[in-house]
Amino acid sequence: MMFLDLANFYLIPGIVMGSIYAIGAIGITLVFSIMRHTNLAHGDMATFGAFSALALFSAIGISPYLVLPLATVIVGFLSIVIDWIFYEHLRNKPKILTTISSLGVGLMLRSVVQIIWGVNTTAYVTGINKPYKILGLKVKSTEIITLGVSAALVIILILFLNRNRWGKAMRAMSNSPDLALISGIDNRKVVALTWFVVGVLCCCAGFFLGINTELKSMMGWNILLPTIAAAILGGIGRIEGALVGGLIIGLIEEMSLMVIPAEYKAASSFVVLLLVLLLRPTGFFRSKII
Amino acid sequence: MTAILTIKDIRGGYTEADILNGISMEVSRGEIVAIVGPNGAGKSTVMKAVFGLLKIRGGSIDFLGTDITGWSPNHIVQAGICYVPQVENIFTEMTVQENLEMGAFLRRGDLSAAYDRIYGLFPDLVSKRQVVSGSLSGGQRQMLAMGRALMLDPKVLLLDEPTAGLSPKYMEQIFQISRNIRDTGVAILLVEQHAKQALAFSDRGYILVAGTNRHHGTGQDLLTDHSVAEMFLGG
Ligand SMILES: Nc1ncnc2c1ncn2[C@@H]1O[C@H](COP(=O)(O)OP(=O)(O)OP(=O)(O)O)[C@@H](O)[C@H]1O
Ligand SMILES: [Mg+2]
Repeated sequence: MMFLDLANFYLIPGIVMGSIYAIGAIGITLVFSIMRHTNLAHGDMATFGAFSALALFSAIGISPYLVLPLATVIVGFLSIVIDWIFYEHLRNKPKILTTISSLGVGLMLRSVVQIIWGVNTTAYVTGINKPYKILGLKVKSTEIITLGVSAALVIILILFLNRNRWGKAMRAMSNSPDLALISGIDNRKVVALTWFVVGVLCCCAGFFLGINTELKSMMGWNILLPTIAAAILGGIGRIEGALVGGLIIGLIEEMSLMVIPAEYKAASSFVVLLLVLLLRPTGFFRSKII
Repeated sequence: MTAILTIKDIRGGYTEADILNGISMEVSRGEIVAIVGPNGAGKSTVMKAVFGLLKIRGGSIDFLGTDITGWSPNHIVQAGICYVPQVENIFTEMTVQENLEMGAFLRRGDLSAAYDRIYGLFPDLVSKRQVVSGSLSGGQRQMLAMGRALMLDPKVLLLDEPTAGLSPKYMEQIFQISRNIRDTGVAILLVEQHAKQALAFSDRGYILVAGTNRHHGTGQDLLTDHSVAEMFLGG
């Protein structure tokens, strides 16, 4: 009984939150590997994605999952446009400028969300989502779908990067942008492709955060710290690292509830980040390539 | 012989200061041309100028009758010029096969004939196909770098110090492979640190000093010219 309680109250929610962090951290890692800056707009982009899906769901109906693909495409293109407007002209300047610019972009996105959808908490569907019981484990349908879709995204992304010509071009550019350029790879197209993929990942992270908890304008900003912690923990620049890092952060956060009050949950990822930066700043996987 | 690539009076640099102060040179089909000169003379910079990686403030670069001055690297690659830089010339985190694939990025369709040709030129790489290229030896890396640049069947190949840091055995091997490539009709422009050996094996050579042409002639002429020998080839 002890184990089942542990699983139901801490492990399952931890893995679910962890997979949301993982999807976010993979996006952070992709931006870092190819554009070489930390994308501080990541969380707010996720918020925007979550609310775009809400808007589409209100307009079209049926099921929030059904509108998710459309929302991801919208956020994917939005993130390409944001790059064109705010980051492209900074490409050859010190990367700190792009990082700061991304903080501004995040603030803008958050304001847009607040203007359009307000600051109140909302949800995709109201009412109680009754968990299924499987061998004593209580799992909600939202949780199963979150895990399934996250796993699928990771597998598709890894296959894309290793089998597809453009995916390999992303790895090539991450490895050596100059050599990619003189090999005839159009770096600007690779950058646009990367932003599209990052937009899709952001949107999914926001959507699953929304469907497992609630939607509010600060939701993405609130997960930015654990998401970046996950990316660093996994050794920034590694997809598998970001995945494992996300799961670890999710589990630590939930388990910390055994000893600290819920309001301080976010502090646990801060502590993990601090420890990683102090003890092993390169993360647990060898750094550098996607 | 009519030149395939003509560099005419190029001036330019990385920032405001000019590194190249009016460089001219040309290379023809089936010819190996060596650029030699002291460190910092601007040898690598000439190659970057051809490849559109430099701010060019004067002069022109002509390839097969087309003015390509200021073209972007991927258009230059598409036109038929490929380049092996002095450093960072392989994707160290990718396999040998993937490196070649990236070399052929602009080419669609079946690449098996191109792979066969490259593995034929560089048999050492065959057993390393699936090996991450960062773990290759210096000589193998240089072969892979050349292989990557040859995947698109270029008309002109730019090689920046292909033998740097290699043992004499590997150096001879790289020179021999370069001759084989030349004999298939490719024009090769190469920068060499080993000036004597390079001039001996090249058809023609240019000696660059401080961003200008100092001497040029056939490899043999330069080697036997006393003033050249004294000043640049260590007597
Ligand atoms: N990326 C760069 N930015 C600014 N200046 C550069 C850059 N690369 C080279 N230089 C400068 O340009 C000049 C010519 O350099 P270049 O690399 O062409 O010399 P090189 O003849 O190839 O020398 P080496 O034999 O050492 O390779 C040098 O003074 C060098 O300091
Ligand atoms: Mg050089």
